[in-house]
Amino acid sequence: MTAETDKHIPPVGRVSLRGLSESETGLAVVVFIVLALLPMFVSGYPIYILPQYMLFGMMAMSLGLLWGFVGILSFGQAGFFALGAYTMGLAMQSDWGVNPAYIGMLLSIIAGGILAAVTGYFLFSAGVRATYFVLVTLALSIMVEQIAVSQSEITGGWNGMFIDRMTLTFGGLGEISLFDDAPAYYAVLPVVVLTYALLRWLTSAKFGKVLAGIRENEDRLTALGYSVSLYKTFAFALSGAIACLAGALYGTHANFVAPSLGGVLFSTEVVVWVAIGGRNSLLGALLGGILVATLSNYLSTITPEYWQLVLGLIFIVVIVFFTGGIAGAVGKLPQLWQPRR
Amino acid sequence: METAISVVVDATLITLVLALAAFGLAIIYGLVGVINMGHGAFLTLGAYLTWAATTAGIPFVLAVVVATIGVGIVGLILEHLIIRHFYDKPFDTLLLTWAFFLVMTEVIKIVFGTDFRNVANPLPGAIDLGAVKIPAYRGVIALVALALIGGTALVFYRTTLGIKIRALIQNREVASLLGLDIARMYKLVFAIGACTAGMAGGLISPMLSVDPYIGNVFLVRSFFVVIVGGVGQLLGGTLVGSFFIGGSETLFALFSKQVFAQSVVFLLAIVILRFRPAGILRQR
Repeated sequence: MTAETDKHIPPVGRVSLRGLSESETGLAVVVFIVLALLPMFVSGYPIYILPQYMLFGMMAMSLGLLWGFVGILSFGQAGFFALGAYTMGLAMQSDWGVNPAYIGMLLSIIAGGILAAVTGYFLFSAGVRATYFVLVTLALSIMVEQIAVSQSEITGGWNGMFIDRMTLTFGGLGEISLFDDAPAYYAVLPVVVLTYALLRWLTSAKFGKVLAGIRENEDRLTALGYSVSLYKTFAFALSGAIACLAGALYGTHANFVAPSLGGVLFSTEVVVWVAIGGRNSLLGALLGGILVATLSNYLSTITPEYWQLVLGLIFIVVIVFFTGGIAGAVGKLPQLWQPRR
Repeated sequence: METAISVVVDATLITLVLALAAFGLAIIYGLVGVINMGHGAFLTLGAYLTWAATTAGIPFVLAVVVATIGVGIVGLILEHLIIRHFYDKPFDTLLLTWAFFLVMTEVIKIVFGTDFRNVANPLPGAIDLGAVKIPAYRGVIALVALALIGGTALVFYRTTLGIKIRALIQNREVASLLGLDIARMYKLVFAIGACTAGMAGGLISPMLSVDPYIGNVFLVRSFFVVIVGGVGQLLGGTLVGSFFIGGSETLFALFSKQVFAQSVVFLLAIVILRFRPAGILRQR
């Protein structure tokens, strides 16, 4: 232990991560510029499907925040995602006098935030173990699926629910329908970029340092007077709200939500994306979500079973040998050129 | 009165089937501390091996033996290749066993296909208890579950092996200082847990249609059985936990849909986990 650990604010952890986070910002800007320019060169199916994968990436970031920065793993992110999609679907069916899509987005953020906050506080305040938390979130996503199946009068049961594409309205200034794929693309992208920016800002601010402190040494943070359970609850609530908003946008983009969207399999697919992309990096999580989902879609049409098998094996290799995933492996590259001390 | 009796009988049967399904997990989680997310895959594999063996013309009882040994071997390979390096990192074993579940499920899909399979019921009749009739096979399974748990109790408290295992749980370091081969004991316990799960999968297979995700139904319920009953409380814990999860599900299902009842039970289990993390039998 160095003297550094005695400072009031605990260290972020490995020094290499700090270098990584600087190069990450540059890389993130490049990625977002590429994504912003893409519709000018490509059209058709990729532009239709990419926003959905970006929303998967947004859900992956919500997990990256929890797993990489607080050290809590949730197997229930898809449960929040599905909750968001259903919330959006129900909001779109009702007439509030205001643009129902805005209501749907707002309600999904509130619903996801509250569900996560209540569950989180209930468990964290009792100091429930991280492994039990995984099981509870797994149960949570099963419950979302089961409730979606059993309350068929509201949710459509197994048949799922159809949701219209949303329309952006600007008061009296006019409106933009997101029915076409290009406007929908440019509506989703800024939300993803903003989410990324918000999370980057939060994790590099003092809040993020406290979270990292909790991950590294929970007891010490408690001893320093931090209310660990409140910090964890807030992180989980934020994560739930983000996943839920992503789900709401996904629902209106895909025009459809079915119970399996909240199920165990999808929930754990998110875990695989984040593990492969890199749990310590938000960009890694985002790209993990986008790239693995793209690959899955492409390879599933060719060889569905073997691809899932390979994905499972990659997951094992990542956990055993590359804990930091691709982002972690890339982040270590610059060290090879630096002289060793 | 008749509904009351049939509810009690139903609850008892479900409790014992659940105890059977959860027992392999209780062994692995309770004794070597591995949060085995691959438990569902063990059950599924057991069911498929039983199906494959009966389809090949092997009698049902022998088919279950094949499933027991087959899943035991798979568990042994898993332990030897991966799990044994991670015993002191419970969180990593959680992820790795989950990865095992993903891989195993795909292997099952590739080898056996994704269609529903049916294992013929070896005892189609019903037992008449006067007020209620129970399916003969379910009744036998309940007895098998009791025998299995009772037999394990016997091994646990009446044999040298049991003493060694208990020593292992109580204090690993001291047990190893006294000359106990920890690595071998862990391997043995893990394999026994896998065998039990494989057997449970095989025995349950005639009651459900077998598909690659059959074990999923039992995974979370098994975990709640183990946690509610108390981790490490192999015998009483498994029975009490199963009774709580299975029994309350039967009760709630009287008033609502089966799937909804399961959600309510999960909610109850989460509340118990919050206030009694060591199980309902033990004070904190």
